[in-house]
Amino acid sequence: MTESINPQTIMDFLKPRMGARLRTWVDICTHCGMCSDTCHFYLANDRDPKMIPAYKVRFLKDLLKKKGRVDRAYLDQVYETVYHECNACRRCTLYCPFGIDIAYLISILRGLLTSQGIVPGGLARAVANYKEFGNQMAVPDEEWVETLEWCEEETAEELVGLKIPIDKKGAKIMYTVNAREPKFYPQDIMEVAKIFHVAGEDWTFPSGKGWDDTNLAMFIGDVETSRAVVENTFKRAEELGVKQIAVTE
Amino acid sequence: MDFYSFVEGPLLWIAFLTFIIGTILRIVFFVTKVRKMDKPMVQYFSWKYVLATLGRWILPINKDVAKNPVFMPLVYIFHVCLIVVPIFLASHVSLWEESRFEWSWPALPDAWADWMTLILMAISIFFFLRRLISADIRLLSTFSDYLLIIVTALPFVTGYFLAHGTLDSVAFLGDNLSLIHMLSGELMLILIPLTRLSHAFLFFFSRAATGIEFGRRGYSM
Repeated sequence: MTESINPQTIMDFLKPRMGARLRTWVDICTHCGMCSDTCHFYLANDRDPKMIPAYKVRFLKDLLKKKGRVDRAYLDQVYETVYHECNACRRCTLYCPFGIDIAYLISILRGLLTSQGIVPGGLARAVANYKEFGNQMAVPDEEWVETLEWCEEETAEELVGLKIPIDKKGAKIMYTVNAREPKFYPQDIMEVAKIFHVAGEDWTFPSGKGWDDTNLAMFIGDVETSRAVVENTFKRAEELGVKQIAVTE
Repeated sequence: MDFYSFVEGPLLWIAFLTFIIGTILRIVFFVTKVRKMDKPMVQYFSWKYVLATLGRWILPINKDVAKNPVFMPLVYIFHVCLIVVPIFLASHVSLWEESRFEWSWPALPDAWADWMTLILMAISIFFFLRRLISADIRLLSTFSDYLLIIVTALPFVTGYFLAHGTLDSVAFLGDNLSLIHMLSGELMLILIPLTRLSHAFLFFFSRAATGIEFGRRGYSM
């Protein structure tokens, strides 16, 4: 038995996103095949024709042609392709005579699946965390600040006078981390504090939302959340009046 | 009006107007849509990246040529013949001279036109067979991909036989070849703005759009 999908919801998602580029790319691909052996999925799967980038985005044209009238099994097939056969590296675009941005088309398809509630479990949880806590690991802001404080205490035992500045206005660098660092790897924060201290840099952490520089919402085509995450970081930088934002490795 | 005069008169006008107006409309549609829905393309528009990327892909100095040293040169030769022969063929130029516009421009020597037509036909056959034989391209190909190769080659095939009178003794073809030649040319003109043959002009806009983004990011264009 296949779940029914409301075609209207699919078209409602696609229509406002059919800009000039998207429309043109769906129309003009001449299936020349120049993208095929630029794809590492194609090469790693014994040159399986199903892995040709141009072939992977056939769903978009198909969905428009069918006006969204597809079933759940169809969307599961799309899911398999857009998550397991492409990691949006954009190498094919470098070799496409028309510059068709396959990764962009893939991300539109991922967004479409997200709008239908079809999202990889881990990413779905992370994105829910961004919405609630502003970071992917659901670290509350107080816990973040506490972590920085005890990191400073411990590291200062090793390097006397070391400070981990929080919300220092007018600092040169605002440093941001992966939320896994305060959650699982606080030693990374300590190491970086040592480097900044020894290098004599004028730096600071922001205390509020925006300190997590990962953006997993981007991977599920959730543009709204993705934008909110970036905006948080820039808001903090503007509030603090820093010159640069540095991101963790 | 018999069918022949319809094809060489009104239908020719229809074909040319469809081609010209269709092309203009698609370009206008592209530009207005970009302004409304692809705002970063407007915000970061840069002639530097546009010209760099177009230069690299109009001339054979891009990544694909290095990667596909046989196929890509054929693609370039194919397109040069496709554009040059119909515009500069001596008998086409003389038709423009006789027309109400009385336009005139230098013509290609007939021997050149002959060779370029033969080369175009040979490459068309190669493209067609490649679609059929290569497992990759076969999977990608839709019916219209095969059809459009035929649509593109047909004016050249019929034109070649027309110019050389090879088929004059064949019953139906001998009598109607110039009719078929005009029809095939008109069909192609009409299909250019309506099908993926529209890459003839949308190529410039699509490649430029990606050039703007990739150039700015410092990627290869």
